[in-house]
Amino acid sequence: MKMTRREWLAAAAAGSLALMPGRRLAGGFGLGAPPPTPSSTEEGSNSPGGRLKIALVTGIMFKYAHSQHFVDRFMEGYGWNGAWHKPPMDLVSLYVDQVGPDDISRERAARFPSLKIYPTIAEALTLGGSKLAVDGVILIGEHGNYPRNEKGQTEYPRYQFFQQIVGVYRSSGRSVPLFSDKHLSWNWDWAKVMYDTSRSMAFPFMAGSSLPVTWRIPSVEMPLGTRLREAMCVGYGGVDSYDFHGLETIQCMVERRQGGESGVKWLQAYRGESFWQAYQDGVWSRDLCEAALCRSHTLTPAREGFNDIFPTLDDMRRIVKDPVAYNYEHTDGLKCTLLLMNGLAQDFNFAARVEDRKEPFSTQMYLPMPPDRTTLANFFSPLVNNVEKMFLTGKPSYPIERTLLTTGLTAAGVESLYRNQARYETPHLSIRYQPTRESTYWRT
Amino acid sequence: MKQIAVITTVYRYLSHAQHMADRFLVGYPHNGEWHRPDMKVVSLYVDQKPPGDQSAQRAQEFGFRVYPTIAEALRCGGDRLAVDAVLIIGEHGDYPRNEKGQILYPRYEFFQQCVEVFEKDGRVVPVYNDKHLSYSFEKAKWMVEASKRLKFPMLAGSSLPVTWRLPDLELPLDCEIESALMVGEGGSDPMDFHALEAMQCMVERRKGGETGVKAVQMIEGDAVWKAGEEGRWSKDMLSSALSRSDTPQGLSLVDGRTQDLVGSGQLPKLVKNPAAYFIDYTDGLQCTLLMLDGALKDFNFAARRRGTKDIVSTQFFLSPVPNVTYSACLVNKIEEMFETGHAPYPVERTLLVSGVLEACLTSRLQDHRRLETPQLSVHYHAPRASQYCRT
Repeated sequence: MKMTRREWLAAAAAGSLALMPGRRLAGGFGLGAPPPTPSSTEEGSNSPGGRLKIALVTGIMFKYAHSQHFVDRFMEGYGWNGAWHKPPMDLVSLYVDQVGPDDISRERAARFPSLKIYPTIAEALTLGGSKLAVDGVILIGEHGNYPRNEKGQTEYPRYQFFQQIVGVYRSSGRSVPLFSDKHLSWNWDWAKVMYDTSRSMAFPFMAGSSLPVTWRIPSVEMPLGTRLREAMCVGYGGVDSYDFHGLETIQCMVERRQGGESGVKWLQAYRGESFWQAYQDGVWSRDLCEAALCRSHTLTPAREGFNDIFPTLDDMRRIVKDPVAYNYEHTDGLKCTLLLMNGLAQDFNFAARVEDRKEPFSTQMYLPMPPDRTTLANFFSPLVNNVEKMFLTGKPSYPIERTLLTTGLTAAGVESLYRNQARYETPHLSIRYQPTRESTYWRT
Repeated sequence: MKQIAVITTVYRYLSHAQHMADRFLVGYPHNGEWHRPDMKVVSLYVDQKPPGDQSAQRAQEFGFRVYPTIAEALRCGGDRLAVDAVLIIGEHGDYPRNEKGQILYPRYEFFQQCVEVFEKDGRVVPVYNDKHLSYSFEKAKWMVEASKRLKFPMLAGSSLPVTWRLPDLELPLDCEIESALMVGEGGSDPMDFHALEAMQCMVERRKGGETGVKAVQMIEGDAVWKAGEEGRWSKDMLSSALSRSDTPQGLSLVDGRTQDLVGSGQLPKLVKNPAAYFIDYTDGLQCTLLMLDGALKDFNFAARRRGTKDIVSTQFFLSPVPNVTYSACLVNKIEEMFETGHAPYPVERTLLVSGVLEACLTSRLQDHRRLETPQLSVHYHAPRASQYCRT
């Protein structure tokens, strides 16, 4: 089916399904596991008055740490849908693994007596008793002083935290919804265990980045069932860090393509000089890279005295320090590339080549990022809101398989770089799933 | 290829002239691509050349000339009007302030000189005038009347009406609006102009179209909080507008926390000199601009539609320096007028807002009293299609 640019944009802007062929209903889950059934509502909340009790388990908490963004949105509320929103649930317990000199968890607990800090994860979940006493758990293993391995991965203890959480679920004979921030684990095998455990214990499990749920500029959705030829994200940040955000940026869009997600066959990383060689050789589309950069609001001016000027390839070579690319192929043949172009842009921009459409589809996943541009990392608002929804409904807003796949892609990128940028086969990433029919990004 | 004259006060890095005129020289991001206007800047007039002046460098690199007078720039040194469009940017530079605190940028004088050339040479071309038309409503009115009299397309104003909105909110054409509120910061003339024009581009879509403003009042200091207590402006609407802000100051700066600035009672602690601009429209609509320096760093709008309980709100997104991509949204509208000879939205919007701002500053000077504004019976209709960046 051919669409004019106007029709296509209209469909994209409306998140419309009607115009696109080949769409399928959401709800299928990958890896042969059945979708989880909510357990917290069945078993009943322990909370008086029906308000859910929530526990948050984190590595560390300081100003602008992920944990701070979460805790404050639960305790103070946040702007949502044009009003001040106070989550209709109570964050009652915290476990903080490391307490540094800039810790603010103690200040928060002192100011909010209803929020207690417990010395172990088990106690945070049982509220000091013997059985699970909360209705939802948030796991944030980001920041903090944790070892870095020879591949450059920071070994955040998300898996260990997870195991302690499900240990309480097991010993209590009851499971509650769990949100895990960012990728599931730096270690693919552990991530897979986390996923499998959530399936076998049948608790709602959601994870990932705020990139898929934040504002988009322009506010467009990939129409469900789109026939995609190539996709790309141009972003910034480091390996085993912001690369994950870029991969989730791509994945939340491409999972909506015709047929849904079918997994990834292989990934090859490029860094330094081989990045530029690959760029010139057309390993990824130059057009898409340029389209993505045209959505940036933070292009480093390629020439002094100009505030907004498009860089040539030579400019890019000069401006970008330590470029990194993850180029990978999905099982159905879709090629995707994440470009980390530090120095050139400081935002995450998506572009895709859509069949029968001349111009690339593109948007920026906008992060109102403190401290330079804002004082609040409000991209955490839609993330927290989706977590709230899961706690209330027992149903994740989007499939955990997305983050399982991006976790595997992040680890594969690290692995390829570690193996001298060799192509890395990823048969373990044959992860199949269908996207949600509804859009879940911030637009109201 | 259309030939453009640029008439400006100064041309140096991050001045309006630089980031707007440069977009005609090196292109700009638009609709997901790097758009290069099919137009050529052929002449430039700069009124002042402070340190950092870029006019000579730009002229040399891009093959145009800097002329010593506006008339010569428009005639490219010849004896007849020799350009197809004029871009007037009277912003920045060393100009005096009047007793109302307005900087006396010579926009009217620049425009008048262009009109003189049009009249003498018997030909007119489209003119864009950056920001408000003039510090003086009388002069602004003369400018718009000249464009009507001589029948040339004219566009003016701020980039706020055309920048991205978070969320992508447009009020439906012909909706009934009970009241609207804008909250921003940055002090009087310039930032209040941007805020007023952003509010105007929303409310002009109401049923019956724009019919002008009958009175204004500007108050400052504790009187602003008192007016809030008395219900003269709506705390609910301020709360809604502030829920769109990404830049609450105070405790958010200290430890990153989210803040309900209205509910927490923090506003009076943060804002040392608040200002409220009350605008009473002829058709009964009431609008308020709150300039709350110290509370936030962005511009947020809220409106209540008649017959609904809900308040709608959005942030007018000012993207970061140095790219200031919001000015690309504006340049695209200017380019559209230069190309088609048709202004995408009425210059009367900017005329009205120029007059509202001047009247508000007069109110401030005259002990913050309410001023009847019969001169502001400016009538126009909003364009049917949305004009802001959304694709």
